[in-house]
Amino acid sequence: MDILSNLLIPIVNLDLLMLIAVGTFAGIYVGAIPGLSVTMAVSILISFTFSWEVYPALALMIGIYMGGVYGGSRTAILLNIPGAPSAIATALDGFPMAQQGRAGEAIGIVTVVSFIGGFIGIFALGAFAPLLSDFAIGFQPRDFMLLAVMGILLVGSLSGDSLVKGIFAGALGIGVGAVGMDPLTIQDRFVFGIDELRGGISFVAVMIGLFGVSEALIQLHSIHTPAVRQKITGIIPSWSKVRKHLPLGLQTSTIGTIVGALPGTGGDIAALMAYDHAKRVTRKPEVPFGKGAIEGLVAPETANNAAVGGAFIPMLTLGIPGDAVTAIMIGALFIHGLNPGPMLMIEQPDMFWFIVSSLALANIFMLIFGLTGIRLFVRIVELPRTVLLPVIMVLSIVGAHAVNNSLTDVYWMLGFGVLGYFMRLYGYPLAPIILGVILSRLLDDNWRRAIISEREDFGAMMMGIFTSPLSLCLFLAVVMILITNSPWWTRWRARKAAE
Amino acid sequence: MEPTPKRRPGELVFNIVIMLASFGLLYSAYGISGFEALSAPGAVPMATTAIMAVCAVLILRDTLRKDGDTTQTLATHILPLIVIVTIAMIAAYALLLRPLGFLPTSVLFLLVMVRFLSKRSLAFCLAVSVGTVLLIWIIFRLIFAVLMPQGIIPEGRIVSAITSLF
Repeated sequence: MDILSNLLIPIVNLDLLMLIAVGTFAGIYVGAIPGLSVTMAVSILISFTFSWEVYPALALMIGIYMGGVYGGSRTAILLNIPGAPSAIATALDGFPMAQQGRAGEAIGIVTVVSFIGGFIGIFALGAFAPLLSDFAIGFQPRDFMLLAVMGILLVGSLSGDSLVKGIFAGALGIGVGAVGMDPLTIQDRFVFGIDELRGGISFVAVMIGLFGVSEALIQLHSIHTPAVRQKITGIIPSWSKVRKHLPLGLQTSTIGTIVGALPGTGGDIAALMAYDHAKRVTRKPEVPFGKGAIEGLVAPETANNAAVGGAFIPMLTLGIPGDAVTAIMIGALFIHGLNPGPMLMIEQPDMFWFIVSSLALANIFMLIFGLTGIRLFVRIVELPRTVLLPVIMVLSIVGAHAVNNSLTDVYWMLGFGVLGYFMRLYGYPLAPIILGVILSRLLDDNWRRAIISEREDFGAMMMGIFTSPLSLCLFLAVVMILITNSPWWTRWRARKAAE
Repeated sequence: MEPTPKRRPGELVFNIVIMLASFGLLYSAYGISGFEALSAPGAVPMATTAIMAVCAVLILRDTLRKDGDTTQTLATHILPLIVIVTIAMIAAYALLLRPLGFLPTSVLFLLVMVRFLSKRSLAFCLAVSVGTVLLIWIIFRLIFAVLMPQGIIPEGRIVSAITSLF
């Protein structure tokens, strides 16, 4: 009964319902604009909603997240420019369909299968997160420490070409998170005699800089690319077409949920893996893959929306974000005095079921807006970026300033924006930095707890890892990530493939 | 075997700066508590900055192994004028935000940036910047209650006058 009443919170409250609808609508817009990511939108939004109650703030962010993941498919189909990384695979068959004059058909099927995938991910969240949370209560500090390391490494290895650059970025994030007074001994760390640094660096400023300003600066390189107009007809797909692709959609939704639930992965990886799966299991597609196959749309779009629900599983049960957006949402929960992790489900189950319910509502709004407002959303790609980018910069500055009413945060935002700009140009992934900042405290606290409980004996701690099945699994996962991303492994695989 | 990607203009300098900064931070992390204890406040900072320094050395080694990209230049592909002007404008915005206040600084920033980027008429740029700032102000100041520096415009009195109407 409690679960039901918690699930009903955003449904019976008209304000929350409106915020989810507005968020989903805005998310589709943001997702549809190439270069503007959901991560950027949520990171800017967090600073404006920090003074709100937690429910409305989360309702808006959840709407934007769900809508944005779906919205990325629009420009992938219409312009061959994925609006978000999770829509990269969608462009492979979506754009050929648009070239054949089937853009409306492509958008229609994408909308319906995104809805199906989204619901499977949300169902998995509601069904499995409580079980995982019960299991996670028994985690030792060393397990949380290993989980944090695993999350950062996974993001580092999956979000860029070079693992070394990913590890560097993750370590930089942990270092940034450590700036300020040590919470246990109030000793200064990386303060350099500057008083403003004693309170630490606002991670909101870091996020807005890395994902807002640096993206805007990168977009300046292609600011004069002209907008393309497309004709959209025949949007709502027939039931027979949906039914025909449902079995594949269910398989790829499962892939999306599982991949999304792995700490550090996200919709982009889920979509690419699902696309690969569809190519392997579809024996005779009506149209070959890459030339406008419907299966090539069904697989990535079910998977990336299913990954949204999946990404919340580690975030709410372990306190480890599933992807960059959930990393930011963890920050939002921290700001509102909540502590995501196994205890959240016990202490505040209402929060968990509220999130599940809000995701489901956002998914429904996504279907409604997606099928009815296609012509309106197509107009978004015609918006001049010469106006849009300066406005984003103003919002970034206002956002960075709003958190602490401090100009120092604006300078940090600019500094990280410029650093992020160069890092992007030279192939460094940015997501591990933010994950590092978010997980820095978790890593530091749990390392110290683990080593103190072993009386400062590193050997005893390693022995503890090897004698606990869970710790050993996590440790081996960390080692495997390092090995499989090493140049030696790549060379070995290439040699094996050549034989 | 795939060809090694080319070294982009400025990449070497950037990676050298990153490496030097990493070693500088490692030195600073050592200064927190040295090798006092594994649970000392400096333990994790030292470990992370040591990882940063090792990675930076490896990245620099890989960068040195790459051939330079002769098809790209620093001025066109890495730091074009448009990016330099934008960064300078954001910095100027941040500096003027407190003395001038949010409303005039934002209008000025948008006016200059939209004009610079779009090359449209002054009237268009002015309409866009004033309209946008007003919209942002209404949404964030009146609805979201976000406080911004007041500066030369008596924003507080305007807000109280508006709220007294309802």
